[in-house]
Amino acid sequence: MVAVEQTAVDILKEKLGDNILEIVTPRPRRAFILVKRGFHRDAVSLLLERFKRSGISTITGIDLGDEIELDYHMRCHGAVITIKSRVSREKPQIETITDLIPGARLYEREVFDLLGVVFEGHPNLKRLLLSEDWPEGSYPLRKDWSPQDVKKNLHGVYSEPSKINDQGLDETTSTINVVVGPQHPALLEPERFLFKVDGEVVVDVEPRLGYVHRGIEKGAESLTFLQDVHLIERICGICNVSHTTCFCQAVESIGEIEIPPRAKYLRTIVVELNRIHSHLLLLGTAGLVLGYESLFQYVFRDREPTLDLMEMVTGNRVIPAFNTIGGVRRDLKPELNEKIQKILGRLEERMRFYKAVFKEDPTMRLRTEGVGMLKKSDALKLCVAGPVLRGSGIKMDLRKDDAYAAYDEVPFNVITYKECDSWARLMVRVEETVESINIIRYAVEHLPSGPYRVKVPRKQPKGEAVSRVEAPRGELVHYVKSTGTIYPYRVKVRSPTLANIISFHKIVKDGYVADIPAALISLDPCFSCTDRVAFLDVNNNRSWSWRLEEMKDLKGE
Amino acid sequence: MAHVSLTKWARLKSPWILHFNTGGCNACDIEFLVLLTPRYDIERFGVLLKPSPRQADALIVTGPVTRQIASRLKVIYEQMPSPKFVIAVGACACSGMYANMQCYGALGGVDKFIPVDVYVPGCPPRPEAILYGVIKLLKKMKAVKA
Repeated sequence: MVAVEQTAVDILKEKLGDNILEIVTPRPRRAFILVKRGFHRDAVSLLLERFKRSGISTITGIDLGDEIELDYHMRCHGAVITIKSRVSREKPQIETITDLIPGARLYEREVFDLLGVVFEGHPNLKRLLLSEDWPEGSYPLRKDWSPQDVKKNLHGVYSEPSKINDQGLDETTSTINVVVGPQHPALLEPERFLFKVDGEVVVDVEPRLGYVHRGIEKGAESLTFLQDVHLIERICGICNVSHTTCFCQAVESIGEIEIPPRAKYLRTIVVELNRIHSHLLLLGTAGLVLGYESLFQYVFRDREPTLDLMEMVTGNRVIPAFNTIGGVRRDLKPELNEKIQKILGRLEERMRFYKAVFKEDPTMRLRTEGVGMLKKSDALKLCVAGPVLRGSGIKMDLRKDDAYAAYDEVPFNVITYKECDSWARLMVRVEETVESINIIRYAVEHLPSGPYRVKVPRKQPKGEAVSRVEAPRGELVHYVKSTGTIYPYRVKVRSPTLANIISFHKIVKDGYVADIPAALISLDPCFSCTDRVAFLDVNNNRSWSWRLEEMKDLKGE
Repeated sequence: MAHVSLTKWARLKSPWILHFNTGGCNACDIEFLVLLTPRYDIERFGVLLKPSPRQADALIVTGPVTRQIASRLKVIYEQMPSPKFVIAVGACACSGMYANMQCYGALGGVDKFIPVDVYVPGCPPRPEAILYGVIKLLKKMKAVKA
């Protein structure tokens, strides 16, 4: 069988010929292809045609000094084919690919926001992450940008609280705009949603991201590789292990470092522990959202032992600081095995109970079945990831397709549900938790002996790498470029929520206002990842405060 | 027992708390969330989580203050009725961790924008630590007149 990346390279070579400037295939399932200016659309559409169920993972923009390079990371059957195209720095313009693949909309907006590249033909090229008071023409990810540019109006920044634009508020229509956020009684994180509602039906929704934009990608460029592991860990407090695993893998493949087998297994154990705690967090808050506070309390009670386990294995409850470049930082003590098996055994028993609750409880099914439909074709077109994809019946899991750590040796099932609704997405998570328990058991039993880390030089050779990890919320992509110093030249993070939030519009549109919480929770949004680099005060200008009650339980509080 | 006003008595017995994330990574938030659940059960101290700043006695802030959220934080603080108290939870809220790591979006700790009464350090602090912070605040509330 010919490898996917080879097939891709062959087809591009055949069709584009001289328009390909450079092809690099550094490692299995990765290829970097530089095309002439203006040919990126052809390359992307060729790949989309050739590979069924392919999509775009993200777009990275890199300031090379004289030019800006755009990397289109295409996910094709477990491989990532990166199409590169360069634009001039003075007039950074390039044609959009959103007509070929609608899932690229947010990625193009992100590059526009942070690097100032104009995508011609993009339907809605607006700011995505930076604040409204950010000066025009100041692009933080360009190399000559300095924070001094924006420091002037730092303090005393006062922007009016979220207001609704008055469109659609005239007397002739019954459509009403409801702004929810950024401080709101529901989500843990600040994010703003503008819902257009007609009576009880949601007509349209527009999320505003960026309230958690901290600028981590820029910060990562000024720290060394090793320091970055700690910064990257703090992108997201929930899926932090996935982030560090992904980043370490990227650096390890640049430096061609082979980590010992024991480290691979230990990483697998901690990543899966992290997945269990993340899924249980979601299932608990889902209970709260759907009106079952007792379920929330139950799930959280059963989640605590997982965190205890995490503490026993890594030394910390939430942010474990476990991964490092070249392996892990702590060995698993053999005397813990018994405890791990005991706690997991108890959790497995409880999971059987929760599965029955989610499956059989009539109210639970009424609240979630048929709510927030995301058809298979839409899921592929919008390039969603993780449990959202699998809830739409698409069998895609990076642990199988693009195996990393010890997943090529550990047996496990990929859970899919065909129902395409909120219920399916929740069920995927319930069953995945059970799978995770089995993975940990297997990994603990088959833990290879030997060292758990290798020494790694501070300096990394010149090179670039795309690393992917199946985080609890879906596909997580890190892109790292090194120029041969102790500092990375560019670190790009694409979190799963950014891929999934694009489908929010689709799943709440034409649904009822009361179903919004159930739909949103099934996406398991996590905005600190998404914004890296968003709670609710509801300002509405009509007496619709009863709606806020609907929002109240959107997530978690 | 000295004379205590009715509102103060009510506030001490059941402080209402508003939680606000100013751009943190969620780690502190989930550790705060578990306070509501059986193992820690913050309701023992009468603490209730409230969705609106207008009803809140204390504000729990997690995360470094980002550029986008700074003005909102001020608005929320101003909307709270006096006397008001603020607990900064986590290394970011205490000192603006990301801001010290060249991340342009983060502006610094919470105390750069609003007065803070109790600092709970840690990345993230353990739930017990947050609980301890809340109890310290209760003691501080006792000393406040009105």
